[in-house]
Amino acid sequence: MPPTGSDPARMNRKKGDKGFESPRPYKLTHQVVCINNINFQRKSVVGFVELTVFPTVANLNRIKLNSKQCRIYRVRINDLEAAFIYNDPTLEVCHSESKQRNLNYFSNAYAAAVSAVDPDAGNGELCIKVPSELWKHVDELKVLKIHINFSLDQPKGGLHFVVPSVEGSMAERGAHVFSCGYQNSTRFWFPCVDSYSELCTWKLEFTVDAAMVAVSNGDLVETVYTHDMRKKTFHYMLTIPTSASNISLAIGPFEILVDPYMHEVTHFCLPQLLPLLKHTTSYLHEVFEFYEEILTCRYPYSCFKTVFIDEAYVEVAAYASMSIFSTNLLHSATIIDETPLTRRRLAQSLAQQFFGCFISRMSWSDEWVLKGISGYIYGLWMKKTFGVNEYRHWIKEELDKIVAYELKTGGVLLHPIFGGGKEKDNPASHLHFSIKHPHTLSWEYYTMFQCKAHLVMRLIENRISMEFMLQVFNKLLSLASTASSQKFQSHMWSQMLVSTSGFLKSISNVSGKDIQPLIKQWVDQSGVVKFYGSFAFNRKRNVLELEIKQDYTSPGTQKYVGPLKVTVQELDGSFNHTLQIEENSLKHDIPCHSKSRRNKKKKIPLMNGEEVDMDLSAMDADSPLLWIRTDPDMAVLRKVEFEQADFMWQYQLRYERDVVAQQEAISALEKFPTPASRLALTDILEQEQCFYRVRMSACFCLAKIANSMVSTWTGPPAMKSLFTRMFCCKTCPNIVKTNNFMSFQSYFLQKTMPVAMALLRDVHNLCPKEVLTFILDLIKYNDNRKNKFSDNYYRAEMIDALANSVTPAVSVNNEVRTLDNLNPDVRLILEEITRFLNMEKLLPSYRHTITVSCLRAIRVLQKNGHVPSDPSLFKSYAEYGHFVDIRIAALEAVVDYTKVDRSYEELQWLLNMIQNDPVPYVRHKILNMLTKNPPFTKSMESPLCNEALVDQLWKLMNSGTSHDWRLRCGAVDLYFTLFGLSRPSCLPLPELGLVLNLKEKKAVLNPTIIPEAIAGNQEAAVNPSSHAQLVGFQNPFSSSQDEEEIDMDTVHDSQAFISHHLNMLERPSTPGLSKYRPANSRSALIPQHSAGCDGTPTTKPQWNMELPRKGTGKEQPPLELGVHAAAAAPLAVFSAEPAPSRHGDHHHHHHHDHKKKKKKHKHRHKHKRRRDARERARAPAPSPAGGSGRPARSPSLSD
Amino acid sequence: MADAAATAGAAGSGTRSGSKQSTNPADNYHLARRRTLQVVVSSLLTEAGFESAEKASVETLTEMLQSYISEIGRSAKSYCEHTARTQPTLSDIVVTLVEMGFNVDTLPAYAKRSQRMVITAPPVTNQPVTPKALTAGQNRPHPPHIPSHFPEFPDPHTYIKTPTYREPVSDYQVLREKAASQRRDVERALTRFMAKTGETQSLFKDDVSTFPLIAARPFTIPYLTALLPSELEMQQMEETDSSEQDEQTDTENIPLHISPDDSGAEKENTSVLQQNPSLSGSRNGEESIIDNPYLRPVKKPKIRRKKSLS
Repeated sequence: MPPTGSDPARMNRKKGDKGFESPRPYKLTHQVVCINNINFQRKSVVGFVELTVFPTVANLNRIKLNSKQCRIYRVRINDLEAAFIYNDPTLEVCHSESKQRNLNYFSNAYAAAVSAVDPDAGNGELCIKVPSELWKHVDELKVLKIHINFSLDQPKGGLHFVVPSVEGSMAERGAHVFSCGYQNSTRFWFPCVDSYSELCTWKLEFTVDAAMVAVSNGDLVETVYTHDMRKKTFHYMLTIPTSASNISLAIGPFEILVDPYMHEVTHFCLPQLLPLLKHTTSYLHEVFEFYEEILTCRYPYSCFKTVFIDEAYVEVAAYASMSIFSTNLLHSATIIDETPLTRRRLAQSLAQQFFGCFISRMSWSDEWVLKGISGYIYGLWMKKTFGVNEYRHWIKEELDKIVAYELKTGGVLLHPIFGGGKEKDNPASHLHFSIKHPHTLSWEYYTMFQCKAHLVMRLIENRISMEFMLQVFNKLLSLASTASSQKFQSHMWSQMLVSTSGFLKSISNVSGKDIQPLIKQWVDQSGVVKFYGSFAFNRKRNVLELEIKQDYTSPGTQKYVGPLKVTVQELDGSFNHTLQIEENSLKHDIPCHSKSRRNKKKKIPLMNGEEVDMDLSAMDADSPLLWIRTDPDMAVLRKVEFEQADFMWQYQLRYERDVVAQQEAISALEKFPTPASRLALTDILEQEQCFYRVRMSACFCLAKIANSMVSTWTGPPAMKSLFTRMFCCKTCPNIVKTNNFMSFQSYFLQKTMPVAMALLRDVHNLCPKEVLTFILDLIKYNDNRKNKFSDNYYRAEMIDALANSVTPAVSVNNEVRTLDNLNPDVRLILEEITRFLNMEKLLPSYRHTITVSCLRAIRVLQKNGHVPSDPSLFKSYAEYGHFVDIRIAALEAVVDYTKVDRSYEELQWLLNMIQNDPVPYVRHKILNMLTKNPPFTKSMESPLCNEALVDQLWKLMNSGTSHDWRLRCGAVDLYFTLFGLSRPSCLPLPELGLVLNLKEKKAVLNPTIIPEAIAGNQEAAVNPSSHAQLVGFQNPFSSSQDEEEIDMDTVHDSQAFISHHLNMLERPSTPGLSKYRPANSRSALIPQHSAGCDGTPTTKPQWNMELPRKGTGKEQPPLELGVHAAAAAPLAVFSAEPAPSRHGDHHHHHHHDHKKKKKKHKHRHKHKRRRDARERARAPAPSPAGGSGRPARSPSLSD
Repeated sequence: MADAAATAGAAGSGTRSGSKQSTNPADNYHLARRRTLQVVVSSLLTEAGFESAEKASVETLTEMLQSYISEIGRSAKSYCEHTARTQPTLSDIVVTLVEMGFNVDTLPAYAKRSQRMVITAPPVTNQPVTPKALTAGQNRPHPPHIPSHFPEFPDPHTYIKTPTYREPVSDYQVLREKAASQRRDVERALTRFMAKTGETQSLFKDDVSTFPLIAARPFTIPYLTALLPSELEMQQMEETDSSEQDEQTDTENIPLHISPDDSGAEKENTSVLQQNPSLSGSRNGEESIIDNPYLRPVKKPKIRRKKSLS
């Protein structure tokens, strides 16, 4: 078994039954991270880490750690030099020479590569050998201190530098740096065990410019000046055991605000933003109070820090005792719309402090518990803060989202279990990516995963009651905090990890209820339920005959068996019925209570006890049924399509008090364009007591109905008189009142109504002139001078309304769009847009909402043929240096242009930006938008779809995005959207001899070996002639080895490599793993390094030299870059790799040479010369014979 | 300036604008006086034996005469004011003439010369009056402590208040209309100006002037402009805060259909989002005593060797 291989059996073990079982043969107890130099100019970081490790097995001889991007200078264990190799198969997933272009192949290879370095399987990129002097020490299970010196140069991921290019010192420029990433990404900025399940205590030290502040996890113990007084060192201690993945850092010239309510909470923001910070965080203490109260548990850390930074990777990132937010969440007191959003983000991050940071997870398959709990308690906060209506509305929204996503993609699985590691058992075979690892997940899938997780938590709450639920959380927290205070009993720390089984056990202990069926349905299984309901009323029996059908055959669905609540509103009241949904029963008879029919005039009691008068004339005279609701509490993850008469929906809308029911009624009424529906919607719009979001969606529904009824519509355009009555002056109805947004409900309605009205169309399918004039008047008379709040969102929505009113231009003979033939209405619109956009330059609005709307509106005008379609305006707004919202809006327009005009040039421009833009979020977003609005899809012919594009995208996901998991998965998504799972159709038939194997799913060869082995001969790609040679070479081993197109040399190499690797890694005493050991493996490798520089020259350097030959595959791209200065952009990312320092380590493989074919010799030499050309000056010129030359010294050897 | 000088000046200006078609009474007055002077000059020339004279020379002589008379007037006024009077006396004139080198004794003889010509008095032209519009209100009489010879008080509107007699526009619609179009015009003019003076982008290839868009320019620190409220907004904020503008003064604006209890309910609902700036503000004063590690002073480096980092 190769040591780098994934170990599915281990990953798959049943967790939690007997506590946590570490995948590593050692326990990490403490780690020091010291960054003593940060250079903003060069964007580099220098520092060291020191890990305190206790072996748990006697024959521990190698230690695997995670590290990416870092250049490692030196590793010492207990002050002895230790040899190490660095091997990261995720850098280049597939052999770059490979002609494979199908996504199936890639996804498998990628999942394998990620497994190969997965810390949860005990793997890592960095493999350190324990010096032989310490073997005895290790056998006694005594402590090891691993000291690693590293540096980081121009990191592409993990740490993000923001350095504005203005005059002044770095602090004056507002330069800052912060850690970021998706899931466990700490390995990008320092070597560590990058697993959520390996907890230890931390000491963190950061030496920064005296004008800067370093914010990190735990308590700031002290701040000390350096001797020259120019810098200061921040010393942090984190005594609560924490995983490396929850370690973070932010350094910048931050302004500091101590929370006035809680002095242990400190807020940081960039210069000049302090007033905004004060306002934004003034609410945070209430969130703290809320969580502490419901969890009956103090906030676990002794302090909390919030940092607001620019160019954020995600809006919110929670780490141990600190959260990193996007600076764009800051707002002043005049901003209405952003306030609830920001508060929600704050509350979200705080919930994750408890579950996610303090309590960590055992493995990836337990992630849903953490996301579920934090999402669930965040929901409770929402309910308390924004009210039940908002909460239920949010739940419905989330439910609709997850249902739509699952039906589209085929399911989200919360708790994946992998049987035997065989691909056949892949529980997510419907997806184009593996769900085995967080790092292979599509970002959209992950968002939906979180959404489903909290919804399932809510289902559990429904089953066991909230009280028990909170008790369970409290139990988890108190167990964890007891464990965390056990400073010297690190084995106790696993109590701080949550697992699915542990969580379920707590639930059954606390509640005594069996929720196993629920878990099985929603957690262990993917898919949602699709109900179709219809009914008939049997007058004779006075029975409601309800028929509930399910669709469980379409993708993303599952069969539901169990209770289902149905609420029937009758004349005599509202009644709940619980139906048992079983295998074959479709029909359910529900007895009705109301015998009498409106013979006496009386009020009708509602569910909530209220009694109302209703006009019952619309009802069916024979039936006492007002409306029926299926699963009103959203106790099933489902989609319900229920058939009932239009008047029933109208009653439901008017009289049902649940916002979800109202929302459902509104969407159902779209199908009933009748005057009665119109009246019901108008009544809702006018009702002040009605929830504002319901009223907002009623606007849009009313617009749709009005359009369907256009031939019979009487009176002024829909909503016009209503708006006039509510928001215009009494004496002059065409003039809107001066703005007063004190009542937020009417503010939102005032904003939305014109947007909906603009969707109205007359019989010619044009926006009525009256409506356009109305909107233009709103803009004209808009007066915010006496308003307490900013009207930027309002004005932005008015522009959206203008855009909505645009209809396609009537084109005569495809004439060119010029100013002369501009439609007069459009001229008016354009006039407004021009003025708004220009005013923004002089008086910018908050978050440039108006610019964003203007850009969108211009794109609408272009798309409808009023204005010549031209992306140059958008491209200028998409440049780096504009506010991110503007950039995204502009990029969206470019993406749309690319699709509509099938522009190759713009597509290239976008792809270039994906690779080179300084802001990770923008790169991610472009990919995301391209995936959502693709220039073409797999089922479509397009001139854009060509081989070059395939190669380009392949390169992007294969190697160009190795520094950012999210980006790589985004590239995979795009590739899938464009080309599908199999070989893109635009590619020519594969050359003979390089036959694609369609069964590669069954790859036998250890997947981790494939990429690295293949990567061995990079020069093939560089040198076309040698490539041809390789291609011509048929593979005699192919039957036994693999089905890939690996050329023979590589196979040969890889075999040799594997066996050799094994031998080198296992020390003689280690039993088992190594089946055979070439006698020469050690002796052939007598070190030939220059004398006298190393006190212990025998084993370590030797090991250091011989092994990592295969690692060279990963090291080569920089070489290529050096040789071909104009190398393609994706390769550029490798320049951040620690190439030069370790080249010396990697190419001394002469002991292999006798096995090589002659041809290979040639390559090697060529290869070597190239490398040596780039070798650092210290290295002596190698002899042309290569193999016999003495090794160039690496830094790790020389000291 | 006193009247003499004023008249002289006016006469001068009359000359200068003589060629112009004058229409207002003041100009007529000056023109008439000048004509009289011309008659005087002409008769003196006849007296001296000229039969004809060129227009230019007559003009020159007229000018000289006028200047001379003006100078007499100006000097006389100075002398009289020098002796704290407002009305010149004969002696003032005499001193003036002497000062100007004129032999006063010859004057009576010259006046009585035989061949002198008598010219008719100039036609009576009405004194130029200050326009009616400016005399607004009653001038105040002098209070007792001010001697009556002092100049009168000016019109009250110049130092007390200016009453306007036009009906103020109170029509709400017109006002709003005006404010809106005024603002729009200002904005349009301003943006057009900015667009004209700077780089622009255009939506139409064939036309760059109809819808000029100020070119997008990236910022070095984009979030500052995006997040911080503009100065204008800040100013507006202060204004609204100070005048407690929550209730609109315009009665037209009071939403009639909202009953009082409704708005109360709304307030309650929205209170969630309302912020309390005063609270956070008042607490800031206490920060000085807060023990927060980030507020502690930075320690000086210890004498001992710094922890070896290399």
